[in-house]
Amino acid sequence: MDAVTYPDKKVSDFINKNMIALRIPSDAKPYCTDFKITWTPTLIVLDQEGNEHHRTVGFLSPEELIPALLLGMAKTRFDQQQYAEALSVIQELLDTCPGSDAAPEALFLKGVSGYKSTHDPKPLKEAYERLQAQYPSSEWTKRAYPYRLL
Amino acid sequence: MTNTRTWETDMKKAIAEAKARDRQVFLDFFNPG
Repeated sequence: MDAVTYPDKKVSDFINKNMIALRIPSDAKPYCTDFKITWTPTLIVLDQEGNEHHRTVGFLSPEELIPALLLGMAKTRFDQQQYAEALSVIQELLDTCPGSDAAPEALFLKGVSGYKSTHDPKPLKEAYERLQAQYPSSEWTKRAYPYRLL
Repeated sequence: MTNTRTWETDMKKAIAEAKARDRQVFLDFFNPG
């Protein structure tokens, strides 16, 4: 991450603009125990109370780190039931990083957030149809499979 | 590591800054070598 991803200007600009960046050695107590760290790098998105909402383990390229962080930001808002904010971040991810590994999960979350904010099942079915069309082999397409019947 | 970003190294300070600036925290557990 230090050799490739963190020096990337887009990554640096994104983190500077959107997040508070925190680095902790993987053997630092009590955090390594609290967060059950078993491998590095472990990258986690926390809310303003220090609660975890998203994590990835292993190297991420610059092209994958930014969408991974956007997904974490969206999942934080979703968990906090701030669906409009979650949808805004998801749309940014889908618009700017549609080919990223995080995009299918973001699309799934878009459907769920849309449903949770409206109680209309239409966003769930739309999410499945887009997943099937754009990411047919994704695990998130499989997870959305029942929504085709809505 | 980039020159343009400052990494916080203290959890409590990072959380306080996140609250003050209405942001989320990107936490990197790294291998200290």
